[in-house]
Amino acid sequence: MIAPLFAADVASQSPSWVASHAQQIQIALGALLAALALWLILPRASQRGRILGGVLGIVSLGLFAAQFPRLGDWLDDSMFVVLATLTVLAAAAAMTFRNPVYCAIWFALALLGTAGLFFFQGAQFLGVATVVVYAGAILVTFLFVLMLANPKGEAYYDRVSWEAWISAPAAAVMVAVLTVSLSQNVAAAPPAPQSQADLDRNILAPQHMAHLGKHLFSEYLIAVEVAGTLLLVGLVGAVAIVAADKELPGRAGATPASFTTDLGESGAGGRHA
Amino acid sequence: MPDETAVIAPVALLQNYLLVGGLLFVLGLVGFLCRRNMIIMFLAVELMLQGVSVSLVGWGRYHNDWGGQALTIFILTVAACEAAIALALIMTLYRASGKLDIAVWQQEREASQPAYVDQELPEPPPEVDKHWPQLTPSGIEPEIPASETIYRSHV
Repeated sequence: MIAPLFAADVASQSPSWVASHAQQIQIALGALLAALALWLILPRASQRGRILGGVLGIVSLGLFAAQFPRLGDWLDDSMFVVLATLTVLAAAAAMTFRNPVYCAIWFALALLGTAGLFFFQGAQFLGVATVVVYAGAILVTFLFVLMLANPKGEAYYDRVSWEAWISAPAAAVMVAVLTVSLSQNVAAAPPAPQSQADLDRNILAPQHMAHLGKHLFSEYLIAVEVAGTLLLVGLVGAVAIVAADKELPGRAGATPASFTTDLGESGAGGRHA
Repeated sequence: MPDETAVIAPVALLQNYLLVGGLLFVLGLVGFLCRRNMIIMFLAVELMLQGVSVSLVGWGRYHNDWGGQALTIFILTVAACEAAIALALIMTLYRASGKLDIAVWQQEREASQPAYVDQELPEPPPEVDKHWPQLTPSGIEPEIPASETIYRSHV
């Protein structure tokens, strides 16, 4: 569809073509810049171009954001823009820094941004739970493992990445496709039949926790029980994995080939027999 | 004006949240595919889960339904379990190989697959000598066992 347009008289067609396809051009440009930026800031052999990559990434984010409708209220808009930018930039930094400790800390910032987005959306419990569970528990566990592993300086495997020149453009194309389909299909879909009164009655109700708990423990009761069992299984599994590992002879220098501990034997009390 | 925002704003909010969720998911995907440090790979998985959670909460608000938030709570549960198991596995693999590099485990590949060979990299710039504060010694200096100097390089 584009090719015949180009084949036609470009001189007379181009102004109207550019004007009518401004959105597609912006998205394509944003995807191109995003791919270039992601490739530049991912760990490579040379460190050159990282600042340029960051600037290009911010520009491409702006191009994507320009596609999207405003929320209507300038306060809502600015809050959302600040939170979303913080989240996405911190996530990008968490994926591209060389030192894993910095990655974990940037990831914590991305989690805080996500918690802010949850608050903004009227999901107070989820916002608090994200901070407590993710930033409070999971991330601290990550940092503990990092301390145990004690990465000294910049290891070789932190300074290179697998084939970033394939996956960065693929990711940018995926975001572009998502953007196009969102800005066309969701906008074309009829809005959900709801008024402010409906919202106040249900998802934005003043007694947020009471409503959420009511739904969680009536509609999703079996799922809650299964999730509790899953937590227990995860706990036991993690202990079993580490305990089985301790039985390896000379574990520091053991080759991976000798890493065939029979979990069932050790789990049956083989150590104490 | 109030009628207009009541109709337009939910769609705008949903679109914006879906874009942010998509960006987080894609960043996590790239991180998982590109990085070689196992800990960062699992941070990337958590980031993908966060992206899914953001879009779920957006859909829940749009449809005025609690299902999105309830499912996000279960995602949180699964993420906690996954982190526990993943960190136990990472510790096991780290003890077996002494590295957090995922490329160490390429010997588990199929026989028909070619091995990945590391390219030569220039040496990283040497660390600048840090000047640690020195206290005036007083009394007899205790002997530091040799085993302690291995992991306490700066003391």
